Amino acid sequence: MTAFALPAPRLVAADVLKLRKNRSLAVVTSLLTIGAVAITVLVIELMHVANPAKNGPVGGVNNLGHFASLIGLLGAAAAAIVGSRVGAGDKDAGVYRDLVVTGRSRTSLFLSRIPAGAAFLLPFVAAAYAFAAVSSVALAGSNPMPDTRLLALTGLWTVLSVAFFYLLSVAVAALLGSRSYAIGVVLAFRLAITPVIASISALGVVRELMPGVAIQSLAPSALGDAARMGPAIPMSTGAVAAVLVGWAVVAVAAAGWRDVSRDA
Amino acid sequence: MHTTSISPYVVETQGLTKSFGERTVVRGVDLRVPRGSAFGYLGPNGAGKTTLIRMLLGLTPASSGQMQLLGLPVPERRADALARVGAIVEEPRFHGHLTGRENLRVVAAARGTEAFDRIDGALEQVGLTARAGDRVKTYSLGMRQRLGIARCLLADPELLILDEPMNGLDPAGIQEFRVFVRSFVEEGRTIVLSSHLLDEVEKTCDHVAIVDGGTIVAQGSIAELRGEGHTLFVETDDHQLARRVLGESTAVERIVDDGTVLAVSILDARVIPDLNRRLVEAGVSVRRLEPQQASLEQRFLEITTRLENAA
Repeated sequence: MTAFALPAPRLVAADVLKLRKNRSLAVVTSLLTIGAVAITVLVIELMHVANPAKNGPVGGVNNLGHFASLIGLLGAAAAAIVGSRVGAGDKDAGVYRDLVVTGRSRTSLFLSRIPAGAAFLLPFVAAAYAFAAVSSVALAGSNPMPDTRLLALTGLWTVLSVAFFYLLSVAVAALLGSRSYAIGVVLAFRLAITPVIASISALGVVRELMPGVAIQSLAPSALGDAARMGPAIPMSTGAVAAVLVGWAVVAVAAAGWRDVSRDA
Repeated sequence: MHTTSISPYVVETQGLTKSFGERTVVRGVDLRVPRGSAFGYLGPNGAGKTTLIRMLLGLTPASSGQMQLLGLPVPERRADALARVGAIVEEPRFHGHLTGRENLRVVAAARGTEAFDRIDGALEQVGLTARAGDRVKTYSLGMRQRLGIARCLLADPELLILDEPMNGLDPAGIQEFRVFVRSFVEEGRTIVLSSHLLDEVEKTCDHVAIVDGGTIVAQGSIAELRGEGHTLFVETDDHQLARRVLGESTAVERIVDDGTVLAVSILDARVIPDLNRRLVEAGVSVRRLEPQQASLEQRFLEITTRLENAA
């Protein structure tokens, strides 16, 4: 029965099916990722066409940073929505107990949901970034054009940022057993608590324990201030890895334990 | 049908207890469900029926006591036991945005490869093939009940545990459900049906446990619990002669004659054919020879009233 405790590919596929067939979830996720970038590109381009002397072109390195920052921010909201559904969707729908009575281990059920949600969410994020990257090159105009290496690094950084908050959302939802509370907690943490703590310089090295600060420090330096939200807090790669891995391991372990120990 | 155990009981519990803080909702339950039976777990709302089912299925831990499902100790061998158990706990719930077939695929994914092959058959068995492609949020409560049973059938279950399965079913649905239970049991499988509807349990099941206040107050076959056959109503063309003939039998305890009917108390229902033979051989024309049909409801009320008085 050891294999019964591991996430099975069919179980992951079933969890992807639950997400993929949820139209409202797909619409909201695409709006917060691809839609946000598309609208931003369209608005800037229209403004540029209307008054080129005053409004610069859509593309260029600087705007790539803005796009990455936008995807990171709204992608975190999408991550909170998708992650909370992954973490607590079965419980909210009342079907969790029906999965438990199959005899499948709760650990396996929990671990299968994590890659399923990522498989649903990250293609939206990747598509949004791809659109932003193409726009930053094709519509660079007189602005400095990002090179391939910068495009790749920025893409990885953007996906990492969203993926981390997705994982955190899954864990928080599984811990709380509630989608709505989890969305609130994760968004508050990402959009309010992290910037506030990061801005309190008196906290010193404690600020580096915040995952948002660690992710921010990984932003490609070529993007400059364009991709930054809050003060620049330099961290070594090792410290960043330790903070992110530490948060991920603790959050997933706590959520997995809660999932296994609570009444189904 | 492949069976996982040769134990005569598919469910056995010893001293099973569940407490929530100071409140004990299941109290020292010793339950034995015979293999191949339609077993009713009968009690009023709040008697602890669902909590017992939840413990059996590993949805909540027991505070104390032992359990065996299909002869396997749980929770130690829960996964092995549940692989051949289907269950609906409380009302059947589904992902409303998925179709009936997709909901079954989700559960089949948790059960294993063979469960996928059973999806079409299960849908057909519950009469949902035509609606399998519709979203479950468009289903009626009765259709959801049937889809819940189809979900159970994915396990090719030796044991089916259903919690209040007749809720939401119309009369035709209830009749279909009874037919399903009989055919399921005739295949040598077992069904445990928790309900507060005495009449339905009496019509559907052959064994029953009556639970009240978290404790089993009686269990056995329906016939045993009804006390069937211990009083015999007799109508003849000659009551005087009939009384004398019946009175000669050592199996007869007492005869009450109201002028129209003889109420004959007997020790064992198996002597009824012998009593009939004695009457006929004595030249008595027997117009009626009928064992008393006490309903389960009467017995339930007798038992619970006795307990209340004792308390």
